[in-house]
Amino acid sequence: MHGIKRTRLTQEDIQAKKQREQTKITEYLALTEQVLSRKKHKDWSEDALGLTSKLLQVNPEFYTVWNYRRNILLQGLFPRGTPEQNNQLLVVELTMTMGALKSHPKVYWIWNHRRWCLENIPNGPGEAQEDGADGWKKSAWDKDLFVVEQMLDVDSRNFHAWNYRRYILSNMPKPRPEKTELTYTKQKILSNFSNFSAWHQRSKVLSSLWASGKLGESKSKENEFKLIRDAMYTDPHDQSVWMYHRWLVGNDISQEVLEREIETIQELLAEQPDSKWCLESLVHYKRMQLKNHKEKVDTQVLTGECQRFLAHLGELDPMRSRRYEKIASQLNTI
Amino acid sequence: MALDIPLHVQYIQNLGQSHDELAYHLTAHLRLNAVYWGLAALCTMGHKEALDREEMIQFVMSCWDEEAGGFGAHPDHDAHLLSTLSAIQILIMQDALDKLDIPRVVSFIVSLQQPSGVFAGDTFGEIDTRFLACGSMALSLLGHLDKMNKEKAVEYIQRCKNFDGGFGSCVGAESHSAQVFVCVAALAILDRLDVVDTDTLSWWLSERQQPSGGLNGRPQKLEDVCYSFWVLSALSILNKLDYIDSDKLTAFILSAQDPEGGGIADRPGNMVDVFHTHFGVAGLSLLGYPNLQDLDPVYCMPADLITRMGLRKGWKALPRRTTTI
Repeated sequence: MHGIKRTRLTQEDIQAKKQREQTKITEYLALTEQVLSRKKHKDWSEDALGLTSKLLQVNPEFYTVWNYRRNILLQGLFPRGTPEQNNQLLVVELTMTMGALKSHPKVYWIWNHRRWCLENIPNGPGEAQEDGADGWKKSAWDKDLFVVEQMLDVDSRNFHAWNYRRYILSNMPKPRPEKTELTYTKQKILSNFSNFSAWHQRSKVLSSLWASGKLGESKSKENEFKLIRDAMYTDPHDQSVWMYHRWLVGNDISQEVLEREIETIQELLAEQPDSKWCLESLVHYKRMQLKNHKEKVDTQVLTGECQRFLAHLGELDPMRSRRYEKIASQLNTI
Repeated sequence: MALDIPLHVQYIQNLGQSHDELAYHLTAHLRLNAVYWGLAALCTMGHKEALDREEMIQFVMSCWDEEAGGFGAHPDHDAHLLSTLSAIQILIMQDALDKLDIPRVVSFIVSLQQPSGVFAGDTFGEIDTRFLACGSMALSLLGHLDKMNKEKAVEYIQRCKNFDGGFGSCVGAESHSAQVFVCVAALAILDRLDVVDTDTLSWWLSERQQPSGGLNGRPQKLEDVCYSFWVLSALSILNKLDYIDSDKLTAFILSAQDPEGGGIADRPGNMVDVFHTHFGVAGLSLLGYPNLQDLDPVYCMPADLITRMGLRKGWKALPRRTTTI
């Protein structure tokens, strides 16, 4: 149970609530009994399908009933139907679960059922090899991409929706060019720099585009540094931005770029002397310099700076002081 | 506020008596998990006997799905890996594994491992690193870890690792504390903690602590008592429990108790449930809260039991304190 306020009920209130619930309980249990008994008898009829709709509307978490529903389709209705009819059945499934999802956006079983529906859309309406041979599939997957993006407009951090969206993008019959994902994530980021889910997705897409050579890594990285700099200055307290910056810097960045990024952060620190994330990042990058570019830096100066920053961090952020102490104690051994 | 053990014990005892509440029936799909949460919480509080052993074993066995060879969450519900793990954990805690058809249940679990290495939750094939952890945990508890493809499982977890050191529910997914727990616990069971980037992950986990003292599941999300376990279990497996402020977290968990009806909620002032009660108490145990029993953070079961079974890994909790201050 999440986010439901506790209310103190009097004995009278409790009794009244129980009374009100009694009819609902009786009805719910009768419906459950009916559905589970039909399931036991392998009743794969349309009538049974209707009963499962009714039950799932009350309780979309009832996974056994979702399973039963899929079995009714697989064992009972699909074998009797034409591809057109079966496609229609699945379109109905998708419409029904869309309603369920809007009121229960975090129920695993509903998302799961939609995946199953998409994967079972038959070929058609065109003949094999023709245009439109996978027209039903295309239209269902495209529509679902639209639906999931609407869900992300409502809650831009819903990880079910992000996972589902990634699933659609990598499995849809007519894939979208991967680069369009850069536009999508940028739009999400610009509307809220704290949307770590969007930064995360962007890091995945860029990694993939760089690895496949579809996008030049060094130039595109520079663009990202520009984007992240704006974000840092807009809200230096936002950890999403700093985490993404750390990913961008990575482990094998050139001494020049590392130097430049350190300078940028140092400028920001001058404006925001108590910015935890500036200090934390500077310690990280300076330790990196000590580790990777030892011959080009003044070890003593850098170590001293790190010690000072860590001591400051310990004061600013006492909850994590043991971590800062640990890093400080390791500084001399780099 | 101190932990009101007698009140929480009573709260758990009363859970089975709420047949006249609609919510009780609407959560039937979680019943076996709830029995595990209740029993584990009672064990941690040192009151295992508060629920009737025979009745509990009988209920577990009534959830057996003969067709599938696994356990559903409730009589007549379909077998699922989540409830199957709960059943195994309960039977072990009640020393009643003799009731179980081990070869059948092992073959059910093994059948759920996919070619990619991850496990599905049931025959319909929803995949998640949660299920990978459930599968590894269950097989290890039954002494049949060698029946699964360990290399492939580790490979899959590796593919779920993100730049922040955390893990997601599937390849490509964002890091989430609960998924970090399942992946780190699975890696501990598979003896492959070398896969974890300890410095980065323990940094990310320590950043889950919010000004209230509570922990959240991802950056910029609200704190919640259940993350006390997800984050703390991973930190204790990595031996980095000192990276968070245990006093502040302890106070946060305690403030989420319902001082009248018992139980612990997700946040102070909210409705309690057995899930948050269990994970709140579990978190307190790892933090060395006085008068609690040691909890194994890998299996989320009593530590002495796991040690006796020879399954204890190299985790470290905070030392048990003798006073609440």
